[in-house]
Amino acid sequence: MEHASSFAPANNWFLLGLILGLPLYGAFFNGVFGKRFGRGAVRFVGVGTIFVSFLASIYTFMELHKLHHHAEAAAKQAHGASPAELVIPTTKLSWLAWHWMDMAKFGTTDRLPIEVKFSVDQLSGVMLLVVTGVGFLIHLYASSYMAKDPSYHRFFAYLNLFIFSMLTLVLADNLPVLFVGWEGVGACSYLLIGFWFDKTENAAAGRKAFIANRIGDVGMIAGMLIVGYYVGALDWDGINQNSERLLNAERITIIQRAAGPITISMATAACLCFFIGCTGKSAQIPLYVWLPDAMAGPTPVSALIHAATMVTSGVYLICRLNHVFAMSPFAMAVVAVTGAATALFAATIGLVQNDLKKVLAYSTVSQLGFMFLGVGVGAFGMGFFHVFTHAFFKACLFLGAGSVIHAMHARIHDDVKSQDMRFMGGLKKYMPWTFYSMAAATLAISGFPLTAGFFSKDGILFKAFTNRVLHPVAATAQTVLNRPECKDLTLTHCKQASIDYAQHWHAPEWFGPLLFVVGIIAATCTAFYMFRLLFKTFWGEFRGWSVDPAAAIAPDPFKNLEPLEEGVTEYAAGHEAHDGHEHAHTDPHDLIDGDRHDDHHDHHDEDLTVPAAPPHEAPWQMAVPVAILGAFAIFAGWLYAEPFHFEPMGHWLHGVFQTVVGHEVIQVANAAKLEWPLMGPGVLAFAVGAGLAYVWYVRDEERVPKQLVASWPRLHRAAYNKWYVDEIYEATVIGGADALADGAALMDVWIVDGILAKLSALIVSGLGALLRSFQTGVVHVYSGVLAVGTLGLFVFFVRPHPEATVMKEGDTYTLEAAAGTGYEYKWEVEGGEADKDFVTGDQATKRTVQVPLDATRKITLEVKNAFGRTAKQTFTLTNPKPAPVPSMSVQGMPGRPPPRPPAGH
Amino acid sequence: MAQADLLERIYFGICAVLAVAGAIGTVSFPNPIRGALSLLFSIVAIAGLYLQLHAPFLAAIQLIVYAGAVVVLFLFVIMLIGPDAVPPKDSRAIVARVGGGIAGTAIGALVILVLARKTFGRIPVAQAGFGSVESIGALLFSDYLVPFEVASFLLMVAIVGAVAVARGKQPDPQAAPKDLQASKELSAGEGEVVK
Amino acid sequence: MIPIPAFLVLAAILFTIGTVGFLVRRNVLVALMSIELMLNAINLTFVAFNRAYPNEHTGQTTSFFVIAIAAAEAAVGLAIVLSFFRLRKTVRSDSADLLKN
Repeated sequence: MEHASSFAPANNWFLLGLILGLPLYGAFFNGVFGKRFGRGAVRFVGVGTIFVSFLASIYTFMELHKLHHHAEAAAKQAHGASPAELVIPTTKLSWLAWHWMDMAKFGTTDRLPIEVKFSVDQLSGVMLLVVTGVGFLIHLYASSYMAKDPSYHRFFAYLNLFIFSMLTLVLADNLPVLFVGWEGVGACSYLLIGFWFDKTENAAAGRKAFIANRIGDVGMIAGMLIVGYYVGALDWDGINQNSERLLNAERITIIQRAAGPITISMATAACLCFFIGCTGKSAQIPLYVWLPDAMAGPTPVSALIHAATMVTSGVYLICRLNHVFAMSPFAMAVVAVTGAATALFAATIGLVQNDLKKVLAYSTVSQLGFMFLGVGVGAFGMGFFHVFTHAFFKACLFLGAGSVIHAMHARIHDDVKSQDMRFMGGLKKYMPWTFYSMAAATLAISGFPLTAGFFSKDGILFKAFTNRVLHPVAATAQTVLNRPECKDLTLTHCKQASIDYAQHWHAPEWFGPLLFVVGIIAATCTAFYMFRLLFKTFWGEFRGWSVDPAAAIAPDPFKNLEPLEEGVTEYAAGHEAHDGHEHAHTDPHDLIDGDRHDDHHDHHDEDLTVPAAPPHEAPWQMAVPVAILGAFAIFAGWLYAEPFHFEPMGHWLHGVFQTVVGHEVIQVANAAKLEWPLMGPGVLAFAVGAGLAYVWYVRDEERVPKQLVASWPRLHRAAYNKWYVDEIYEATVIGGADALADGAALMDVWIVDGILAKLSALIVSGLGALLRSFQTGVVHVYSGVLAVGTLGLFVFFVRPHPEATVMKEGDTYTLEAAAGTGYEYKWEVEGGEADKDFVTGDQATKRTVQVPLDATRKITLEVKNAFGRTAKQTFTLTNPKPAPVPSMSVQGMPGRPPPRPPAGH
Repeated sequence: MAQADLLERIYFGICAVLAVAGAIGTVSFPNPIRGALSLLFSIVAIAGLYLQLHAPFLAAIQLIVYAGAVVVLFLFVIMLIGPDAVPPKDSRAIVARVGGGIAGTAIGALVILVLARKTFGRIPVAQAGFGSVESIGALLFSDYLVPFEVASFLLMVAIVGAVAVARGKQPDPQAAPKDLQASKELSAGEGEVVK
Repeated sequence: MIPIPAFLVLAAILFTIGTVGFLVRRNVLVALMSIELMLNAINLTFVAFNRAYPNEHTGQTTSFFVIAIAAAEAAVGLAIVLSFFRLRKTVRSDSADLLKN
């Protein structure tokens, strides 16, 4: 840690401010001035800020690397221990922007400071590079892809804002700031999905994404509150150091049963809450439904947000909070199961989709499932590595798909059909760069040996098979049990350890292998549908020639496309899915981007049945990023080539996960021996998937798929319609919400509006009508009432009011007569002194009497007022015996009404 | 009983009777002109009482301001308004009026009851110059200077306000023809449209 | 010497007559005259009390200001009567009922 950069101290690495600030500036500039300064300026600012940000990120990463290296060397020197047991301090470059707020620590007077603080460590450093690097390539791509869109500046403002938000998420040093970024990327995602908001379906897709994310965010906030309450810290260091407090806190009872309640620890609760947030953001079951719809956004957006960066933030969060997640084997198991289920489920849907981007979308969901499978079995490093590799190959695939769609649209002029793989084919010879890049990415995602996807995916599957996640207490007990002396369980501490071990839940033995099998099946599907996509797009003959332009505006876009169909049923079923696109066909001017816009007008009257205007290769701004990403997709795997024990990435990330991996997360015995054998199924999965795709789609020209569709039309229809999940949600969740809303509306109409509002309005208006009748507007009435009121006052004054207040002090009672104008007083004490005549003056109003205990005296007051009228009142004073209970009533005299209040003033 | 005392009583009696009679006439004559003249009687009688109370300056002021200005103003207004000033008889708000009358009488009776019981003992002999123009004038321009100036200001405001209120809204002599023309054009245009 | 209460009672009688006139008569002009009558009664009270305590002139000066204010009130009141008459062609106080309801 002694190493200090010449640039800035590690705890004030203000370069992070630049990295964050530039995209924000770009967003501001493009959003506010972009329209005025024109496309050139927008391109320059939009792409340039990200590029500079990327350069600054590289520099930061290099500094971090240097720092890490020094720290590692120092640790080695200090301990001299073997590398396996070496604890490397986490290195970190941080920058405190400002102090945000203080939260009261619950139950104490301490404050929990929340600071707008950013930091970059090994984990966020990698994410930083991915976000800015891939982000830059995609910006470059988008500068050409969107070149003729009328809202060019708006697009770049959103895109830059997204990069800013994503960087906030990644660089945040505590949960609240991360949440700011978390929400920021959600908002940008919403804005960009609905970028062409003039189409209803796009706006609806944006809303869907937003709402699904909001549902997840509830979990996120709840998790944050649990951590803040029980851990007492929200920054990473604080959470990591104190995360075991979650285990010491009270437990939540889930089910009460006779044999003792089933409880979960706060760690499990917090993790499950966070995981709900992750399912929303990272598109896992059950909240994945928004991601396929998010393909309504421009393709660069799909590549950047909905494949490479934002959707992986859930995985990032779990890696970030690995200390917390490691406390709960149950939550980890939930994560793993959800991940595996999503991987398989989304892959099955991807098998039958025809829309190029839809296939990629489900592929993304599926790959995210793999990542969660990885982190769920404790392979944090491998799961995160899959984030890294996936960013490259999926961005490459999406950008390649964008190029293809771009080319197709120039030919077909229809938003939907230009994405439909049934009209593609043979594009290999028209767009070679795109083809080679996409082929590389396809190999990677399918797990072709030695590509990036192979290393990350097989690493995950291997870990899924061999890893076990134990409760921290159980893990400690396990280490005790592993000691040689504990062969004999009769020893006290060994016995205790075995009891401890048995007390805590952990996944059963068959759990890992099951996940492995599911993963292999999903990987096979992945290989199949990816190669199906590749073959249908680039192999064979170009099928886009024969599209009748009239079909583009025909009400039923599939009517005259029969020969191309895989099966008739598909369209019957698929019809609904495309219903939303109808108006897109009927309005050919409603275009995806300006490039197509121009092409469209150029070729409006052209007969497209004649072979002409072949699809063209994308311009360099588009082709180069795709090629770079394709290259990374092939080679990036060597950063974590576990089977070859060449793992710089694993080494680099080791510091982040070191306290968890090897303690709570352990490997079964003989794991190392299983490494190569377990690779076999992975390679086999690729071979089977890719081979089947080749046989069915290239060699047999889709004969088998058509037969299969014909044999199981229902199955195909269900898969094509995404297993009707949207419809089920529609019926259950949305229907339920609607019913609730209807009930609330009824309540509103009848109770709130009806009883509360109308009734009170009726009362008020009735009262008003009553009072209004007094307002005759005639002066005589007013003055008459005034006179009568004055007379009342006079009458009150004419009557004398002999009233007095009684005050008690021991046995002494003091009576003070009420004052009045011109009053004269005459007191008469029973059996005592009596005034002879009416007197006036200060002393005349008071009279003091002694009343012995338990005795009664009467005193009479007579007053005469200015009108000469007199009146008298007799006061009976009783001094009560002190009650046996010490509490003594001072004023209350039983048997006598309470003294009347003083009157006359 | 000394002769001077008797004369004083006779003087007081005449003034009192005149004042009360004038007051009753003021409120009971249907014709406001008669009412105004009755008010004049009452005011003059009260001025006489002021003299008896050693307030010659106030007596003079009473005559000048009330008899000379206020009552004359009333008469002017009554004449401006003309015979319409006499409203026809009807019984609207009769309850309020009768009730108010009774209440007013009762209040008055109560006040009279109180006052009649009041005694002041021997009335002190007034010093020379009590109530004279000099002494009151000296007071007004020394101790009561501020209220005096405020009163003069109030009178000025009252004059301006009275003029403004009584004058009402006069049409601007220059703007009038233009407006007229404009309205004519407007009506002509409308006519065309209707046609 | 006439006792002071005599003046006071006389003033009270005049005031009562004025009050009743104001309350009973509907002619705005008569109402205004009734007010003048009441003001005169008050003035008489002030002057009479001043006579009882002749060391100062407080009562008489107060009466002086009351007369000044009464003059102002009469001027403004009559102006209002005039403009009211111009508006409604009557001086009946109950036709000034725009504040009704």
